Amino acid sequence: MKRKTLCVLLLVALFALPVFAGGSKETKSTEKVIRIAEQVPGLITPGVWDGQVFSMNSSMYEYLAEINADTGELDPVLATEWSTTDGRKWTFKLRQGVTFHDGSAFTSEDVKFTLERTQDPGLGHLKKQDFEVMQSIETPDDHTVIINLKDPRPTFIYQLTDYNMAILSSEYDYAKLGESKPMGTGPFKMSQYIPKESIAMVRNPSYWDPALPKLDKILIYFIGDIDASVSMLEADRVDVVNFLTPVIKSRLENIEGISVISPYQEQRFVAMNVDMEPWDDNRVRLAFKYAMDPQILAKSVTQMDLGKGAEYNETPIMNMLAEYKALPLRGRDLEKSRALLAEAGYPDGVEVELYYASDHPFGKELAQTLKELSAPAGFDLELKGFTRDVYLSQYWLNVPTSVTGWGGRIDPSMLLSLAFKGGGAWNESHFDNERVNTLIDKITGEIDEAKRLGYYHELQEIFYEEGALLNVQVPYLVGINDRVIGYKQPLTMLPQYKYTDIK
Amino acid sequence: MNRTLTIIVKRLGSLLVTLAVMSFIIFMLVEIMPGDVAQMILGQSATPEAVSALREARGLNDPVLQRYFRWVGGVVTGDLGDSIYMQGVSINSILWRRVGHSMVLALTAFLIFVPTSMFFGVLAGVKENKTTDSIVSFFGLATMALPEFVSGVFLITIFGVQLKWLPIVSVIPIGESLLSNLEILIMPALSVTFVMFGYISRMQRSSMIQVMHSDYVRAAVLKGMPRKYVIYRHALKNALLPTITIIGMNMGWLFGGLVVVETLFGFPGMGSLLMTAIKTRDVPLIEACVLLITVIFSLSTMFTDILYSYLNPRVRLQGGQK
Repeated sequence: MKRKTLCVLLLVALFALPVFAGGSKETKSTEKVIRIAEQVPGLITPGVWDGQVFSMNSSMYEYLAEINADTGELDPVLATEWSTTDGRKWTFKLRQGVTFHDGSAFTSEDVKFTLERTQDPGLGHLKKQDFEVMQSIETPDDHTVIINLKDPRPTFIYQLTDYNMAILSSEYDYAKLGESKPMGTGPFKMSQYIPKESIAMVRNPSYWDPALPKLDKILIYFIGDIDASVSMLEADRVDVVNFLTPVIKSRLENIEGISVISPYQEQRFVAMNVDMEPWDDNRVRLAFKYAMDPQILAKSVTQMDLGKGAEYNETPIMNMLAEYKALPLRGRDLEKSRALLAEAGYPDGVEVELYYASDHPFGKELAQTLKELSAPAGFDLELKGFTRDVYLSQYWLNVPTSVTGWGGRIDPSMLLSLAFKGGGAWNESHFDNERVNTLIDKITGEIDEAKRLGYYHELQEIFYEEGALLNVQVPYLVGINDRVIGYKQPLTMLPQYKYTDIK
Repeated sequence: MNRTLTIIVKRLGSLLVTLAVMSFIIFMLVEIMPGDVAQMILGQSATPEAVSALREARGLNDPVLQRYFRWVGGVVTGDLGDSIYMQGVSINSILWRRVGHSMVLALTAFLIFVPTSMFFGVLAGVKENKTTDSIVSFFGLATMALPEFVSGVFLITIFGVQLKWLPIVSVIPIGESLLSNLEILIMPALSVTFVMFGYISRMQRSSMIQVMHSDYVRAAVLKGMPRKYVIYRHALKNALLPTITIIGMNMGWLFGGLVVVETLFGFPGMGSLLMTAIKTRDVPLIEACVLLITVIFSLSTMFTDILYSYLNPRVRLQGGQK
């Protein structure tokens, strides 16, 4: 009989589970809380931060300046003003009365520490190359920083808005604590952090702007699976989910109380490696460009119309930027495309490999569309999809054709010398054009804005004629509960939750 | 009892050998996995010099054997080391919380699938070739053929989306513990049950049939004993033996299968942690997770063997006859 009793007890316990569980109901309070689902972070310490968990870090850390999400202009944050006369000597006035979450005061020493940290060889700082131009950093007083550069950089200030350039405390051991106890000057501070699982942040009571932030708490769940995150949004367990795909967008659009917004666009570079056949011949590159139909490309990749969320051009400059020159769209001309191919010595068409990251939003869609569009012209693209980490570490930069995701930069010169100059570290297409190289140098050093714009336009014309690039611009999509008001996220990808409120 | 003790000691010995060999295999497998942690950290911007500097700084340039023994030395002393990816974060601080969650999930699944599948297996075996048998067998086959990520989606659609009885995602609300959110265990546990039900109920059914057809059961029935009494007293005890083996052998599989289920439901257990570790090439974390699964697998196999030998006198005595 004992056994029977045990069995009964077990069964009772089993069915009691949900009852017990149901007992813990959420307590209602007047606190303003926003709940977010983000990807599981890799590294989160600024400097080596791999660019996920933007919600978490942008709330915890701050920058000298940030981009205004509405106007695209620079807003002062930890620096109140900055100036340069020749683009070489940069003087920053720092905000007074700012403290870090650990209570220490924010001074010019912290800015110096943050800048010098970029050159630490053991750290692997992601902005090392961009800041190699620094010659010396002076701190005449607690609230002034002077940066002397080796060469003029008229747009140097934009480098300081990069997400890895969050200002850190010179007295805090980030090597030891950066991954487990993140700490900055931001509007929210950590209250409970479980690595790889979740973080709770509370309002920073000593924030320098007494009117901000408007929320009391930010709760972030790290969820590996995007579908699980979206389910949480649908079930009202979270309010914000980012990095949505077009398929998920159409699924969410029919749900009342949830909106999908696109705060900015990202780029997908289709790079043709000019060191490899057949792309070494500009006629083949032109043939490929003539096989493209931007309207179809936009619709098929993003399910949006060209110009309404998706853009296309053949240069490194995004359509939304002031430096963009509106060159005419080529229009699909298969006959011309085939003729160019034949002229280049491929009358029977040509086979070429295309590598892409299959798990990156829009990667697969773009690769397949390129294959279909170019096939009638005689291109036989062999698609090689890999997970993003394998793609980047094993293939990227050394393959005939590649599709790679690139974030936008408010100042496009930040990308030029790295990705489009001969010998640049990320030059995917190995494009090494003397005129382009000179123009890039001029753009980086020219102080006169009008002249700089002229150089930009000239650069785009060269790319249009003989470049090795298609620049497909896709929307970055965020799903938001309609309760959330004032969600702001500029091109730097850093959401500004200090302005966000809950209805 | 002495003999059982001998078996336990022998088993423990072979367990240690298995673990030593496995630790080496795991280490080597992770070694040849494509991708590199230094490359992962540095991302797109990595110049070869930067990668090698970082590899040097993290001790990745040391010879393979040296790194292996450093790792094993740590494991033996209970120090699983720091995550190579997240500096300053010790693996012990992440892993055990997750292991605890997975244990609770596995236990819940166990409590659901063992009684149900055994009960229905016995029922089908007793009612051989009757309608009840057909229904149970069909259901068993059907669920066995469905992988967890399919049955999981079914469950989510029915109980989460349509009926709204259970949470769609098994995430622990921030600031609360698993114990105050037990309802999040039900759907993941059920989708594990679906897979296990097929195996175990079919095994139980066939062994029940075999026993019911055996001479001693027939003799008991013929001498006029009540059928219920024969089933409970004579047949069941013998018919349970093979099932116990199957259950024990599947415990290791259960933990492996949790990787899929936990990822699908977003449950913060060891399986989803392993997925994350693999994605970021966090070698020490991968090794710790896989080694732990090996330990659980070996222990459950050992436990099954011991239990089996204890329950089955033939196996128990064999050792003594040699």
